[in-house]
Amino acid sequence: MSAVTRSVRPFASRVLSQKLPLAGVRRVSPAMGFPRGSVRSFSQSPFMEVKKYTESHEWIELADDGKTAKIGITEYAAKSLGDVVFVELPEADLEVSAGEPVGAVESVKSASDVLSPVAGKVVKGNEILDDKAKFINEQPEGDAWIAEIEVKDAAELDGLLDAAAYKETIDEE
Amino acid sequence: MRLLSPRLLCRPFQAFPAKSFPRGVRRNSSFPSNQFAQLVGRASSQHQIYQSLSTDPYVNLSIEHFLLDHAPADSSILFLYINQPCVVIGRNQNPWLETNLRALRNDREPDRTTDGALYVRRRSGGGAVYHDEGNLNYSVISPRTAFTRDKHAEMVVRALHRVGATATSVNDRHDIVLVMDDNTPRKISGSAFKLTRHRALHHGTCLLDTPNIDRLGSFLRSPARDYIKAKGVESVRSPVANVSSAFADAMVPFSIQRVIASVVEEFAHLYQVHPDAVRRAQRAYADEPELFAGDTWVAGAVGEPQGYGEPEIKKGLDELMSLEWKYTQTPQFTFSTHPTEEDPRERPPLPPTLPPSTRIFLRLKHGAIIESHISTAADASTASEQAARVHEALNGRKLHEITLADWRTILLDRFGAEAEDISTFLGGKLGLIANP
Repeated sequence: MSAVTRSVRPFASRVLSQKLPLAGVRRVSPAMGFPRGSVRSFSQSPFMEVKKYTESHEWIELADDGKTAKIGITEYAAKSLGDVVFVELPEADLEVSAGEPVGAVESVKSASDVLSPVAGKVVKGNEILDDKAKFINEQPEGDAWIAEIEVKDAAELDGLLDAAAYKETIDEE
Repeated sequence: MRLLSPRLLCRPFQAFPAKSFPRGVRRNSSFPSNQFAQLVGRASSQHQIYQSLSTDPYVNLSIEHFLLDHAPADSSILFLYINQPCVVIGRNQNPWLETNLRALRNDREPDRTTDGALYVRRRSGGGAVYHDEGNLNYSVISPRTAFTRDKHAEMVVRALHRVGATATSVNDRHDIVLVMDDNTPRKISGSAFKLTRHRALHHGTCLLDTPNIDRLGSFLRSPARDYIKAKGVESVRSPVANVSSAFADAMVPFSIQRVIASVVEEFAHLYQVHPDAVRRAQRAYADEPELFAGDTWVAGAVGEPQGYGEPEIKKGLDELMSLEWKYTQTPQFTFSTHPTEEDPRERPPLPPTLPPSTRIFLRLKHGAIIESHISTAADASTASEQAARVHEALNGRKLHEITLADWRTILLDRFGAEAEDISTFLGGKLGLIANP
């Protein structure tokens, strides 16, 4: 019973919260969702949220291929930074470790590094931001992602904060 | 300035060898400066106050960066320094647009350096400023959670009020202004910030008594400003004044040391710093880099020995001084002698030495030319032929690496006699040093 609720509830919430429920449906089969073989521990269901957060206010969302991920700054960060006037995008092929800068934003005379939540290699920066840095304030957790990376080890995401845990950290602030 | 520290006479030689530190720090003890890094990182070093004995902006910014990265996450730090003449631009600014490169020291040709103010790109955001020996830089590094952009500017305003500059206040740009006799505000201090995971760095200039107050704008006015359209951050120009101008008729003469003491005092008050730390910090403008530490604090003077001696600081120093950081970190921009779709501004007339049909356009990314059109022919197809041939030579080249002689050579090959005038024009706009 508990196993069923554990797998059903996150699935339902995924379907409700995501624009593409199909992606969630496909994940019903763990083998399909993780073609390289599941690298996650048994206790974590394959339906877990693939969007994770860091204490330093970045988010990372694993794509359906289980290999690439987009990285951006959170709504909270975008709001607290104020009007973004410039985004430094990473160059393709830049190798980053977890906690290393994968970009930077400037707002109201403040430069802030955007840290990669996990290790990986940059696929590309989001060039929309080259022309329109302020887009970050409009859709920080949507189309205004900052970098797309090829994740070195998807299991590394397990160690990051989920939405609820992240919310707790910002409530403390 | 004091002559000789009495401490020097009684301090036991190497009383605290590196190995025995940091266990059992004695109260209020003095430490040789090579223990700076250990003291900075010590978990109990909650309050740290330093003054720099160096006037090298690269050294001071690198020490500051080290403090940001290495001090305990919950500590509060005050760092005060005065730089030799230099122009410091924000992290995401363009030196060709924000500075008058020809008025600054030439750092692009190692064998042809010139005198003049240094050009520096800092790690924090914001706009371009001019520093010299009459300008005090204050830097406060504190936990990010309790930080606001006005907090430390307000602290400096209280310090200025304390010495008698009561017409100062923080404006809506987080700058400090001095309201003049005619009621107009003039900027005396500009702020910039760098935020990391747990820490917030706020540094600001404070024009106390610069002898160059009237010509400071000339360092910040680029001859190419009518031609360049840049992504990134543009400076906001403000009329400036010296704090000392408020003391013109005062009984007590204005002194930079009094302001420094007052800023230390206000910092101590804001963060409840131990009085011993304040006492030591007040006396730190001495003649030698020496550090003092109590259980919860560190205070003293730092400078070149730390900048060059501590590997982590040296690393930051090398980065800051590199031409890659100074020039190729520049956000994308275009240079054009004619209105373009992205920069439709009316342009000044070309110099009469150039054919009226001359067109010069450059597009740069990471400081390198990725697109160009340089032509003199009135006829469109000849012009595009000229442009294509020039671009072959320019494509991918870093602008800061192209000297005036290089321009001449590249253009001579394509334009013959006209090359001289085009390169002279470009050299003037891009701040290139003329040939001897």
